[in-house]
Amino acid sequence: MQNFHFLIVGFKKSIFRFLFVLIAILICISCSFDSKIDYNTQVKPILNKKCISCHGGVKQNGDFSLMTQELAFKPAKSGNLAIIPGDAKNSELIKRINHHDPEERMPQEAAPLLKEEIKILTKWIDQGADWGIHWAYRPLVSDAKPTVTTMGFSASSKSMLPQDKIDFYVKSKLDELGLIPNKEAEKSELLRRVSLDLIGMPSPKSLKDKFLNSKNPIPFEELVDSLMNLQSFGEKWATMWLDIARYADSKGFERDPSRNIWPYRDYVIKAFNNDKPYDEFVIEQMAGDLLENPTDEQYIATGFHRNTTTNDEGGTDNEEYRVKAVMDRVSTTWEGLMGTTMACVQCHGHPYDPFPHETYYESFAFFNNTRDADTYMDYPILRFFDVKSQEKLDSLKNWMEMVGGKEKAAETELFLKTIQPVIYSIEVDQMVNADLYDTKYLGLRKNGSARIPNVNLRDHANFTMTSKTSSDAGIISLRIDSLTGTEIGKINLANTNRRYKLVEIPIQHNGGLHDIFLYYTNSKMKDSNNMGIQIDWFQLAGKFLGEEDKNYNLNKKRYEDLLLAPLEHTLIMIENPIDQQRKSFVFDRGNWLVHDEEVNAQVPEIFSPIPKNQGENRLAFAKWMVNKENPLTSRTFVNRIWEQLFGKGIVETVEDLGSQGEFPTHLELLDYLSWNWMNNQNWSIKSLIKSIVLSSTYRQSAIISELALEKDPYNKYLSRGPRVRLSGEQIRDQSLNISGLLSTKMYGPPVMPYQPENIWQTPYSNEAWTISSGEDQHRRAVYTMIKRSAVYPSMETFDMPLRQVCTARRIRTNTPLQALVTLNDPVYVEASEHLASRMQKEGGSTIAEQINFAYQLAMNKNISPEKSKILESLYYQTLQELKISNPNNEIESQQIALANVANSIINLDEMLNN
Amino acid sequence: MKRDLNNLFNEHHLRNGELNTRRIFLKNAGLSLGAIALGSMFPGCSSEINNGSIKNLNPLVPKSPHFAAKAKSVIYIHMAGAPSQFELFEYKPILNKLHGQDCPPSLLNDKKFAFIRGVPKMLGGQSLFEKVGQSGTLISDNLPHFKNVVDEVSFLRGMHTDQFNHAPAQMMMHTGSPQQGRPSIGSWATYGLGSENQNLPGFVVLTSGGVNPDAGKPVWGSGFLPSVYQGVQCRSKGDPVLYLGNPECTSRDMRKLSIDAINDINKLTYEEFHDPETVSRISQYEMAYRMQISVPEVMSISDEPQYIHEMYGTKVGKECFANNVLLARKLVEKGVRFVQLFDWGWDTHGTSKNTALEVGLINKCRETDKPVAALILDLKQRGLLDETLIIWGGEFGRTPMAENRNGVEQMFHGRDHHPDAFTMWMAGGGIKKGFSHGETDEIGYAAVKGRQSINDLHATILNQLGFDHEHFTHDFQGRPFRLTDVGGTVIKDIIA
Repeated sequence: MQNFHFLIVGFKKSIFRFLFVLIAILICISCSFDSKIDYNTQVKPILNKKCISCHGGVKQNGDFSLMTQELAFKPAKSGNLAIIPGDAKNSELIKRINHHDPEERMPQEAAPLLKEEIKILTKWIDQGADWGIHWAYRPLVSDAKPTVTTMGFSASSKSMLPQDKIDFYVKSKLDELGLIPNKEAEKSELLRRVSLDLIGMPSPKSLKDKFLNSKNPIPFEELVDSLMNLQSFGEKWATMWLDIARYADSKGFERDPSRNIWPYRDYVIKAFNNDKPYDEFVIEQMAGDLLENPTDEQYIATGFHRNTTTNDEGGTDNEEYRVKAVMDRVSTTWEGLMGTTMACVQCHGHPYDPFPHETYYESFAFFNNTRDADTYMDYPILRFFDVKSQEKLDSLKNWMEMVGGKEKAAETELFLKTIQPVIYSIEVDQMVNADLYDTKYLGLRKNGSARIPNVNLRDHANFTMTSKTSSDAGIISLRIDSLTGTEIGKINLANTNRRYKLVEIPIQHNGGLHDIFLYYTNSKMKDSNNMGIQIDWFQLAGKFLGEEDKNYNLNKKRYEDLLLAPLEHTLIMIENPIDQQRKSFVFDRGNWLVHDEEVNAQVPEIFSPIPKNQGENRLAFAKWMVNKENPLTSRTFVNRIWEQLFGKGIVETVEDLGSQGEFPTHLELLDYLSWNWMNNQNWSIKSLIKSIVLSSTYRQSAIISELALEKDPYNKYLSRGPRVRLSGEQIRDQSLNISGLLSTKMYGPPVMPYQPENIWQTPYSNEAWTISSGEDQHRRAVYTMIKRSAVYPSMETFDMPLRQVCTARRIRTNTPLQALVTLNDPVYVEASEHLASRMQKEGGSTIAEQINFAYQLAMNKNISPEKSKILESLYYQTLQELKISNPNNEIESQQIALANVANSIINLDEMLNN
Repeated sequence: MKRDLNNLFNEHHLRNGELNTRRIFLKNAGLSLGAIALGSMFPGCSSEINNGSIKNLNPLVPKSPHFAAKAKSVIYIHMAGAPSQFELFEYKPILNKLHGQDCPPSLLNDKKFAFIRGVPKMLGGQSLFEKVGQSGTLISDNLPHFKNVVDEVSFLRGMHTDQFNHAPAQMMMHTGSPQQGRPSIGSWATYGLGSENQNLPGFVVLTSGGVNPDAGKPVWGSGFLPSVYQGVQCRSKGDPVLYLGNPECTSRDMRKLSIDAINDINKLTYEEFHDPETVSRISQYEMAYRMQISVPEVMSISDEPQYIHEMYGTKVGKECFANNVLLARKLVEKGVRFVQLFDWGWDTHGTSKNTALEVGLINKCRETDKPVAALILDLKQRGLLDETLIIWGGEFGRTPMAENRNGVEQMFHGRDHHPDAFTMWMAGGGIKKGFSHGETDEIGYAAVKGRQSINDLHATILNQLGFDHEHFTHDFQGRPFRLTDVGGTVIKDIIA
């Protein structure tokens, strides 16, 4: 096992020699013949860098653009053809880049192209100007053959396990570059690496013993399986996804109030633990609400796109923030899930990639018909019934089934669960003596009125609303089409003592689409500046069923109680009903107030379209994303998993697989893994991760050789194992874990571990950071309350994003403020103290043994004598110091000195890296 | 002159070079790692060879801009909530005449206000003005001390923005975009210039007024730049920098022992793995140790002479704006690149005493007028004003109409948010003295001359720091981003 390295080593030496000769021949061939110019790797980079800023998606000077083949091959303004395939000499492009007159020479007002660049472009046109598709937009095919297949290797490469294929591709590249892979890491190092990668902290002792200390050690594969089966697997991997989902527990602006959406976070943890296939995972999050009879889980999953910020600040335009949220959904979907940066297409065509301006709004249209509207209550929500209300609901349902049938009962249940569809009171206009108070809800003063535009009355018998009043003489009258129009309903309002109640107004009308005018008056109200009634939402509904039944009143009361009960809830997506559909337009230069042409929901032309029978809604879009013909979804996720495990993606710019992103270091490998994941691993995330960590590539030692430092300092080509600084979450979890403090409690509302005072200094807010009690202080980092305006500072210091927008990739920094966290943050001080007492209790009798015990806990191996000596001397020197400051209490001094040692261990570079 | 320091994703090329230098240095110089770490410990006094190779490891190492800079550091004073220009700088006799009359529909049509509904009344200035200084500038009686320094500043009277809610407008003012996710101006400055003092953060944030600005910490965030460039909030209560103080039972000497031990072991780790990041970590732990002394030192104002305390109106031991202003001076004196002050409580809607032009605003002026004037004079007397750019302003302006929240008249005099016109001023750092740029119409509703956007303001600030704003970019998501996005023209008129 120890000597197992690269697969290639397994081959007979003769094959190796044969390969070497072949490569040599191949190199010779490529020298003597004119090799084919590759558009993607050779031409496109020159065009992007030197030409496209004036002849691209934004500017098309001289009516010439290099955005698409079609544009590039058509005559420019001058009438000349810039590119004549097969004829470089007469192509205007070649003429102009070679022009002797600096006024005429391209690029204008910039340095001329390099000779090498001119040569490439000339050769490319002479060879026929093949307009290659950018690698990321090419479909994934089963036969992602290595470039060396011609060398008689393909037969054996096909039968390889995925992990072997990884090694095959990596080794091929290393050979090419003259790099030598490292040996397999020590078992202890490997155990630490794979545990931190899979569960985010050191492995449980039992597994560690089985792998390291048993006479009959379990194989590495079994270790991997066991780690993946732990619940902590999901808690670790959720963080990666929550960065993309910009998950947080607050709304984001000004007073930044808390928001209840933690069930979504729990959904993500469970999905990883249950190895929910990625295609399902994506569909549920994008459009779970549109699946047939969605389960609660599927509704909760749609919280993915409800993690957008909302603005409660007084005087905000709710529609503006609704539109912003939709735009954020478009950007997040493309960037986070399909590695494409669409944000620039908001304002103009993509400068480098094949996405015209309207593409953005065609994507926008998929997301533009959800019920959320920047309301104060963050509607729509999914409510969770506690035991008592569930009983009530069950009784109500039983009764409804009896008087109205199953369908009616189910409909009522869904309404009670989601409070949808309704019309929000902030959707009114034409207010007189009325206002959207604090832009959160409608308030009507004496003789106040407002209009609800475009209501389809159908055959609804009731107009209901939730409202509160503080006097008993108010009257609401409903009129259609004008304030003086026909009155269709009227009601005397009771005093609700400033509590929301359900008000039901029977209406008489002939159906059809009408504006409804609300008119409020109150004969007893004196001060016409006071608000008489405050309204949250309206609903048009049929009569409450079963009027003739003796239990009618009882059940109606149950219904009202359930509707108004303050229940635990989470944010979800719900599609607008047919009566409330929005149109989508191109926004001129991205300005949401200036509408250009109307657009329909569709996917960019460069990809295969959504099949006709699937419609044009979010669900169709989601299914299209995980259709095997979509070239981006699988590549993006595989690249992301690779980035998580190696610290760097195969495409380093995880957020951008487009032509302006980095070119993949191992394209065939990425393509192979992406195809294999969809087709053979059936989108199983665990299988994907497993095949990567089983590879010899992953299992290499992380030692950096002289050669590697010179030729591959950033380990792009993987001549060594990954050595990456842990995330803020991992650093916290590891410290709590080895100190024995870490709680294993899972799920539930966010917790507030220790945080310094005065971090939450939010205007107009009474919310405070109240340190959680009991084990909630020591939960895994993923459960920590995330307030967007003031993220948990110690994790932020270790580069946790502020979760305001999608973060496709964290950028690691190395700062003195990080040292201060692990040295002085009371969380780490406490962990050090607990680690010290574990050392005393469990570590043995000598200081050296105790030090070794603590080191072992995290590093899985004995501390070297040299390092141990340093820590031992730290212990005795600290004791010496304490003799002066604390002469009387020797036992306490010993504890303090040991805690100082424990804290130093927590701060070691080896501890902060995987 | 186009520089390539901006591209983080290409930064590895740069770092690649550094790595090689370091590797070769390690090999050739034949010095132990300890000596290198030592070199980073005293950046000022280490030998020349290792200075070069180690300094580059630090992302905050001083860097030179595109061209010679007028200003070395910036003190940005943001009055969160948006102060009323009509009670401070904008004397409008015609508006005073119109006081109490209905606002004409031409000013209301197609206009959106945060709180004004229906037809509000015009509201004349609520303070007296006096012509002061050689420049003969009209300044409100609310700012008696500022009157003495008016000949040091340039006013921007025609500022405008497109945001009329606090949080997005503050984001706009400090990051150039109302949406979240962009780097703040202080982050850009430290990203481009590094910091002169390696023992202090390069970008320091100080807040007063009891709460953080409405937009929260993102307003000094580093957006898509590495988090090392985000503002470090220094606090007057508790640790001046989070987690700076050692735990109760850990003395300074014990801390020294433990950092030495950690670094000794890390040196062994480096010998094992040869990971350059380990070398960085060693120097960062040393810097943390130094910061534990240097930050409390610079954050303490008790050693300042009495006349300085009187000049600024500071209150030792309290959390207040005056203390922060004095700290800002100390910080730039020590080489901190960008000091951002936020003072909260300027949102004068007139819905209560505290937000009334006749009470709340006057109180805010009393708290801030003296220290701001003192800052200018103090920097001047120390010869630092020329190289320190001071910027003063809110996130938007206020309406010439009285607020009538929910369509109802207010108890007090107040003004609503107004993005179309407001006043800011700049001083020092190569800015003209005693100058006014821009002019609003006779009721101060909109700029008629010198109408300047926030992009223009940012372009000007960057210009004073030595950057061409159009070429100071950072590649992210496949395109170069700038602080000024696609706009911005340097306001040449106010440059000395």
